[in-house]
Amino acid sequence: MAGPSTKPGKTSPSSSTSTTPATPSLLTSFFHRSVPLYLSAALLRVVFLLYGLWQDANSPVKYTDIDYLVFTDAARFVAHGQSPYERETYRYTPILAWLLLPTAQTTGNPLVDAALFSSGKVLFAAADLVAGWLLERMLAKSMDGASARKFAAIWLLNPMVATISTRGSSEGLLGVLVMALLSAVMARRVTLAGLLLGFSVHFKIYPFIYAPAIVWWMDAERMGGKPNKGTAKQPSLLSKLLAFVTPARIQLAVTSLATFLALNFAMYTLYGPPFLQHTYLHHITRIDHRHNFSPYNTQLYLASSPTTSELAPPPTTLRIESIAFLPQLLLACVLIPLATAKRDLPAAMLAQTFAFVAFNKVCTSQYFLWYLTLLPLYLPRSTFLQHKPLGFTALALWVLAQGVWLQQGYLLEFLGESAFLPGLWLASVGFFLVNCWVLGVVIGDVGGWEGEGV
Amino acid sequence: MRERISFVQKLGDSLEPSALTVNDGVIRGPEVDAAREDRLTIAVNELPSELRTLVTGAQDLHIRWVSTAAYETVSPLLARLPPGFHLFFTPGRNHAVTKGLCSILGNIFGDISCTTPDESFTVVGEERFQYFQELNSLSHFIQYAKGQLCGATDASCSARLDTLSTAGTLDMSYDIGERVLRVTALWPYQRQKVHATSRPNTRTEVGILSTDKPKTLEAHEIGISGLLTVLGQDSKPSPTMFSFGSRHRDAESAFSARFLTPTGLHPTLQLRLTSDGPPPSSSSDDEDATTTTCTPYAYLTLPRTIFADKYQLSDPLFLASKNLTALRHTTQPVDLEAPEYVMTQWGSSVLLELSPPASQERVGGKGTGEWTASIPLHLRYVAPAPGGYSTIAVPYPAVFWACEPAQGAVFPPNPFEKHHLGYDALFGGDTVFWHVAPKPAAAQGGLLVNEVRVPVLDVDRAGWVNAGTAAAVLVGFAWVVWKIVGVWARGGKGGGVEGVREREKKRQ
Repeated sequence: MAGPSTKPGKTSPSSSTSTTPATPSLLTSFFHRSVPLYLSAALLRVVFLLYGLWQDANSPVKYTDIDYLVFTDAARFVAHGQSPYERETYRYTPILAWLLLPTAQTTGNPLVDAALFSSGKVLFAAADLVAGWLLERMLAKSMDGASARKFAAIWLLNPMVATISTRGSSEGLLGVLVMALLSAVMARRVTLAGLLLGFSVHFKIYPFIYAPAIVWWMDAERMGGKPNKGTAKQPSLLSKLLAFVTPARIQLAVTSLATFLALNFAMYTLYGPPFLQHTYLHHITRIDHRHNFSPYNTQLYLASSPTTSELAPPPTTLRIESIAFLPQLLLACVLIPLATAKRDLPAAMLAQTFAFVAFNKVCTSQYFLWYLTLLPLYLPRSTFLQHKPLGFTALALWVLAQGVWLQQGYLLEFLGESAFLPGLWLASVGFFLVNCWVLGVVIGDVGGWEGEGV
Repeated sequence: MRERISFVQKLGDSLEPSALTVNDGVIRGPEVDAAREDRLTIAVNELPSELRTLVTGAQDLHIRWVSTAAYETVSPLLARLPPGFHLFFTPGRNHAVTKGLCSILGNIFGDISCTTPDESFTVVGEERFQYFQELNSLSHFIQYAKGQLCGATDASCSARLDTLSTAGTLDMSYDIGERVLRVTALWPYQRQKVHATSRPNTRTEVGILSTDKPKTLEAHEIGISGLLTVLGQDSKPSPTMFSFGSRHRDAESAFSARFLTPTGLHPTLQLRLTSDGPPPSSSSDDEDATTTTCTPYAYLTLPRTIFADKYQLSDPLFLASKNLTALRHTTQPVDLEAPEYVMTQWGSSVLLELSPPASQERVGGKGTGEWTASIPLHLRYVAPAPGGYSTIAVPYPAVFWACEPAQGAVFPPNPFEKHHLGYDALFGGDTVFWHVAPKPAAAQGGLLVNEVRVPVLDVDRAGWVNAGTAAAVLVGFAWVVWKIVGVWARGGKGGGVEGVREREKKRQ
């Protein structure tokens, strides 16, 4: 889990150039054109995919992610005219099962069948590449092509990203959706942005946090409308409010909300209450708090269990997990967008995602991919790259904290030791505090930037 | 009320009629090596009111209790189940009885932790429900039965019920056709004295029987011979001999079960079987007879603290690496994520087909080798406890070879047959179960139960978790807010509309 995430630093060109003097020319020529980068990104995924096929066929330990089996089982149900929610633990939009319909086809030819079954992974891997290409296009607006490709390589050549998509996790689709959303916003294509936002939220809920940042960013001046000049020199609160309600903002709100509602209405019509239950309500009512990186994890276990009621604090005492959404949403949806969105929208979105994941009640390593997509847009101007020791410290702490947690998790999961307290709790709190520190640095960075980077 | 008492000896052991004395409704004999089965057939209107409510509220009701102490038994009393309290139930029209079922069971058997059938039972087939739980002793039932059946001064009645504490199994089956409840207790194969006394208003038949092998016996049949006496009616035992097709046979091999260490949160239950070949008598000596196909199975009843993941048990390579062939049945649905303490369902039953090593690997090709099969299981989160550990008990599975019989075999009802065992309904009506005897390793203290130490949250240390978590979140949150405040302080309006305007002015 933690291992591959060290790679952003390693593949980052600046760290490579500083360590090996012979490589710059090679590196420069590698990034000089697009072909080598995308070819190697594709090749990386092809190799991983083929290796996965081999391991699945020859080892009792599978390369393919269990989630992929959930998706493909659901696709099979859909192919037979049934609901994807017939598959236990399918907690996604039916669209995902539809996208994977080819995986439910069989021809009788084992090679063709293996290829068909893997088509979903190919789709996820292709989504990776498209996300990387969108990333490069956005980066290229503020730097030369080679540098843009270098930073895009953090995503494109990242073994963690390639592994996750070729194992069959759908997070790569989120990467491309968020990148497309960001591109559309930056290009001032409001309707497209609204469609993408509505669709992304339908797909995976969490992108709703981007709505306030985008809306805040979309002021009249930026959207090329006439500056809303108030008659009074000191604009009143009312006129400020009126100035806030711009056509672009209304357009975004209407299109995104309409898309979201239309999709949900359609899915509800097709699959009824199970759709609502599994896609959305499950995430509110879930109590399966099997150990994960979240700092709330131990407290959730404690609070959900009946035997602790006599040991629990009196009912007047506030239980922290019941207000966990407060700091999370306050940061991700209000404070960070207000403070940073207008300075640098991509970096603001990175900070939002980082805050959302760090303060979430459930946190697993696949969530890290959500902010890894946005990282290359922030890194070029970041303190972490300008002050290498700081960057290395942040990376090392982030990896180390996960390592400590994983070690405690191993004691619990495989050796059966009661590592919940204090080990696992301390490790998750440690990881949380490291995340908060990194988040603080990111916010400080963005706050210091003048105007738009992109 | 009718009573049938059977002493069943092994093949070759038999008792001369002269060894028995019958008078005044009492039969006495020497000590014999035998298993003893007592069956009481009680008409519904003779039942204590609570039991009468219970059975008449059901279409179908089978209670099977199996001792956790390993016991030896003999043919034809072979049907095995995992140790514990089993219930197979089809509700009748009276919903009030169905709702109160669990409390009635609790009154009779003591520590029964189900709430209502809707919440606690699992569904097996149409309208049929299953329930299982650990129940280590019949002591509560014995007290209950004494109160209901024995008069205050009836010491012999009490003494007889007390012997249930050494029984291997106790079955209560309601026959809606005959409107009778059959209560059957089995005592293990051991040295015991032949002795029985008739009771007033009860027809008592005593059989001293042994397995027999007459020449006319067919492959699917069991032969029985011995002496029958109806107490108070017969003055001497009369010899008898009969045979019948039996679906429960002796595989003449044994197995033990244990968890591989460390158990972690994903314990593996390893079954060690003494024989990898089909039961020796399952194939007829007759060369012409169509060879029967036999496959080994394990039937598990897992308490809700532990479960098998049907998706994990669907990959052929994975299964093969554990010496398993396939998951043939599991309770549906089994929540794969919920902690134990939010579940109300008793747990789940699982039928796994085992995969013995290929025949060419066997020594001499005869199927005598010891082999293992591993069943990967998963623990749920269990409620926090002092010390950080809880212990759960997982019963031994029932292990058997299921054989499709040669054509033409018929199995009419026989006097010792047991139906409704949970797994029999998962096979064809003429499948024969060759039972592998559970023989716990010495370290398990002769008990057919494995314990697993489950790591849980230590409540002794948990007092500060709420405050500690709150403090950590507050520190993290405050730091981030501090940085945001810094941004606002630095950028004046912090990138607000004004800020942009100012910056754009600067650019111009």
